[in-house]
Amino acid sequence: MGTRDRAIRRETGMTARKRWNAAGIALLLAAVVVAAVGTTVGGGATKVQAPIIIGWAFDSRGNMAPFDNPALAAARIQVRAINAKGGVLGRKLQINVCDTQNNNPTRAKACARSLLGTGAHVIFTTCDVDFATPVVQEAINRGKLAVAACIGTDQMGPKRFGAKGKLAFSFGNVAQDEGSAMAEFAWRKGWRTAGIGTNTVIVYFKNVTAAFEKRFTQLGGRIVARESYATGANNVNAAVSRLNGADADVYVTSTAFGELPAFVSGLRSLGNKTPILNSWAGDGTYWNPKSPLVTEYYAVTYASVFGDDPNKAVRNLIAQLKKAGAAPATGGFVTGAAAIDGVVTAIRRAGSTDGAKLAQRLELFRRVPALGGEINFSKRFHSVFGRQYRVIKIQNGKPSYVGSVKAKVVPNI
Amino acid sequence: MNVLAVVDAQTLVDAVGLGAVYALMAVGIGLVFGVLRLVNFAYGQLVMAGAYTLAFTSTWPVAGSIAACFAVVIALSLLMERAVFRPLRTSSPAVMLVTTFAVAFLLQSVALIVDVRDDTIGEPASSVAPLNQAISLAGVDVRKVTLVAVGVAIVALGLLALLLGRTTIGLQMRAAAADFRTARLLGVRADRVIAFAVVLSGILAAAVAVILTVQNPLVSPDFALKDTIVVLVGVVVGGIDRLWTATLGGFAIGFATGVINGALPTEQTVFLPSAVFALVILVLILRPAGLFARGRGALVERV
Repeated sequence: MGTRDRAIRRETGMTARKRWNAAGIALLLAAVVVAAVGTTVGGGATKVQAPIIIGWAFDSRGNMAPFDNPALAAARIQVRAINAKGGVLGRKLQINVCDTQNNNPTRAKACARSLLGTGAHVIFTTCDVDFATPVVQEAINRGKLAVAACIGTDQMGPKRFGAKGKLAFSFGNVAQDEGSAMAEFAWRKGWRTAGIGTNTVIVYFKNVTAAFEKRFTQLGGRIVARESYATGANNVNAAVSRLNGADADVYVTSTAFGELPAFVSGLRSLGNKTPILNSWAGDGTYWNPKSPLVTEYYAVTYASVFGDDPNKAVRNLIAQLKKAGAAPATGGFVTGAAAIDGVVTAIRRAGSTDGAKLAQRLELFRRVPALGGEINFSKRFHSVFGRQYRVIKIQNGKPSYVGSVKAKVVPNI
Repeated sequence: MNVLAVVDAQTLVDAVGLGAVYALMAVGIGLVFGVLRLVNFAYGQLVMAGAYTLAFTSTWPVAGSIAACFAVVIALSLLMERAVFRPLRTSSPAVMLVTTFAVAFLLQSVALIVDVRDDTIGEPASSVAPLNQAISLAGVDVRKVTLVAVGVAIVALGLLALLLGRTTIGLQMRAAAADFRTARLLGVRADRVIAFAVVLSGILAAAVAVILTVQNPLVSPDFALKDTIVVLVGVVVGGIDRLWTATLGGFAIGFATGVINGALPTEQTVFLPSAVFALVILVLILRPAGLFARGRGALVERV
């Protein structure tokens, strides 16, 4: 027994040692596992925390700079705000930019490739669909979502880019919606007859006035004159002369560039005081001639940049932009922030940054809140409709917000 | 169909105004061509520079603003001649033409970089905006600027005729235009004559800037660019070899543009450039030496 007992004790002792050893090994293993898991988790967390990269090809100094710079500045502020609240799906947002240098097509394409090469999950592009095309094509060909902050036609989508265009969206208002909202406003003002001056130089301008006419006549209004002119054709003054001869409650146009002050001051110089209604193209005061003062002039836009926008978030954003030395000239800046909001919502809903999944979610957007107003998309329209427009009136050279308006229908034109 | 039968008096008046402005531009282009054998595509950028000067000095008294416009455009004209045209004087016309393209795009790009600093494109110039007001004549609104443009065009042409016909420098310019090399051999100072023609051309460009900004007060980098292209075509159509045919060509294309714009259905003015250039092609086929040239390929004085 003694031997046996010793043996048993030895065995027991050995068992105990083994147990301790086993426990030690187990602890070690656990530590390793925990460490490994921790690393994995950490690695996962690192992965999870890897930023979602927005590659933004923009025009810093060229013809589209007045649209791209404010949108980008607003987007950056919005990204900071979202990141401060923890980001999206636990990941921070990061904007990488590339200057297309006045939308040189070769440079724009190189920008897109460069941004995609650095891991961009979503590509943002400039605010004109023609200029945007090289960037959009690079993005959608690689299955990435392509977003424009403020393209204002229905071209950003399958209509322009075919099947792969399902991945292309704009957070600008579709022109048909804008023209329709202008008609609602005109009708609400009691204007029953309209003279239309169409700038034929770009699709957006033409679509706005066509949609205005469609909706205005649906509401019971009458078009008493239709004139057209084109940027650079030096015929806006002739159009003005002929519109001046038409007795209308309101003159409607959609124009910017040199033709805008020519149109407005041309009519006023002839002593014509009939109200003039313009689209977002005519927002801002940078174009206002010093004489004669702009008066009885209305424009619909995304936001009032004159300190009286009804939305506090918009006013705050303007204040931040001013602080950053990027005071916006028109309400278009809002689209940069709204586009970030929209893409973030799509990422949250899709749980992914995959282009196709994001596009699918975006097409389902109905009254999705974003900075400055609600966003709607559909299979037909990859540009926003149903947004609340601000109406700005310039009277004796002084601009102010005078109300809001929303399109009730998006007419077929 | 008589085109004039389908346009109203208002259209004709507006067309005359446009024609007068284009005639002034044609004189400026024709003057430099006559002496240098150079089609200056950058002429529009001289007008643009003048218009920007009016915009940037729009808070000044009107006279000061206009004086600054003339000073800047004349200085830029001389700089262009000294820095670009003079070194290339012996180059082929094709090289010189391409060079003017380069100068034009350079100036336009510089203007864009300067203009877009405030994130907007375009600067308003309204120094002589009251000229945009109209006086009513028999139910037709005639803008004061139209009368001014016609008046300036007539006076400028008259003064030029006097200068070319009655002064030594005018005689030298005509001699240089007829045969530059022989004129130099006979003692005509080439640099002086060319500089003088360039200055005159600059003065006319400044005048055009003042007139154009009355009706088109927002100045942008492409200001007067398309007008220049149309006027260059008009100058060729009229007959580039002679100053008065070039001037008439400028007026004709401006007037025709205005009339065709009025004759087209109001919603179809998008076809205006097509219609104008179709007419240009027709004229060049029928009158290759120029619409107003005397005979085909006639030997004529160039200024």
